[in-house]
Amino acid sequence: MSIRQRSRLRRRLFALLAAGLGGIAAAAISFAMAVYDAATPNQVPVVAPGEPVDTGRWVVTIHEAYLSPIPPTGTKPFEPDTFLVLEFDLDNRSAATSNAFHELISIEKPSPAALPGPTYYLARDKWIASAINPNMPERLIAVWELSSGTPVPQSLQLKLRREIYKQRDNLYGSPGWFEDGAAAMVELAVTQGRKGAPL
Amino acid sequence: MMGAVRAVLTLLPAVAVLYVMQQNTPGYGEITSPIVIQGKAGERVEGRDFAFAAGNIHLARAVKTQSFGSVREYTTSGVWVLVEGAAVAKRESLTLMSAEWRAPSGVRYALSERFSTLRGYLPTERLEPGLPRPVLLAFEMPEAEVRGGTLLVARSALIPLGEELWIDVGEKNPTDIHPSVALERGSSTMPWILKVE
Repeated sequence: MSIRQRSRLRRRLFALLAAGLGGIAAAAISFAMAVYDAATPNQVPVVAPGEPVDTGRWVVTIHEAYLSPIPPTGTKPFEPDTFLVLEFDLDNRSAATSNAFHELISIEKPSPAALPGPTYYLARDKWIASAINPNMPERLIAVWELSSGTPVPQSLQLKLRREIYKQRDNLYGSPGWFEDGAAAMVELAVTQGRKGAPL
Repeated sequence: MMGAVRAVLTLLPAVAVLYVMQQNTPGYGEITSPIVIQGKAGERVEGRDFAFAAGNIHLARAVKTQSFGSVREYTTSGVWVLVEGAAVAKRESLTLMSAEWRAPSGVRYALSERFSTLRGYLPTERLEPGLPRPVLLAFEMPEAEVRGGTLLVARSALIPLGEELWIDVGEKNPTDIHPSVALERGSSTMPWILKVE
């Protein structure tokens, strides 16, 4: 083996070693970060009713929760029924009209599986809510129909979902809003009948 | 030593070129965005599949509609923008499902979905080739967003590389806001009658 060949081999060995060490270091740092994130979960703030919460795409203000025998449309149901009603303000902070608020608020306690999904009403129309415009906050009413077997909740813990805007998503590179954990938890009591100022 | 300097000097421009290319590559949203056809309110704007003309524009604080004998009043925290126009399909029957009002700030206000039954409303009108139909559009927006707006009309907001008419409202924009406007049932040739109250 000539001197020249030997030096080329040494150089290649050095490059291989450097790349290997770099890779091991990257893997170790990534693993350590994952362990650190799992060990110190983000504390989700608990917010009182009436306080606005910035969830990224929406600013939400939960007002009150109550039980009512009639839905917001004012039409008395044919068979006696109980409705769990939640009033809140919704402000669209994105750049376009959107109706993507149906997953925004979810019931954490009592257990979410106990209730079917709510119907959203626009307080202004007393009718099913359609898309919400940007820069125009609206009062919305979420209504869960409690079937006869369901226990009536005394208090609610609500989770408000955070959404972030990505200029390029990971799949197509298209812009969009994506879920990013919880923005806040709201705890409030469920009263019998409406207490707030008239709409 | 000289070799290392030369290597760095050749690498730097390459890094710069790559950085500029990375920053300027159009995203998926931009590549597949609709093809814009510019036009003005008051004249017929021609697309390939359809043509649209925006006529009178009215501003109102409330809109009243009649259905099955009962009057419903639609209030708003901003202002109602009602656009009376005409649309025609050119090659095949179609429905124009998407209309937006683009404010000068870039914020887009979509066609209101609060009216459930309104005769002549754009997404409910089926357009046949060669037969122009009067169509009505209603938007809700804060008062400050009306001035300098652009009306965006497309077959659907979801079709990549579809055509979209951008109609500059400009001088057609009214300044006076009516307290209330009633939309009454009209004839078959003019499906609604707009009455200022």
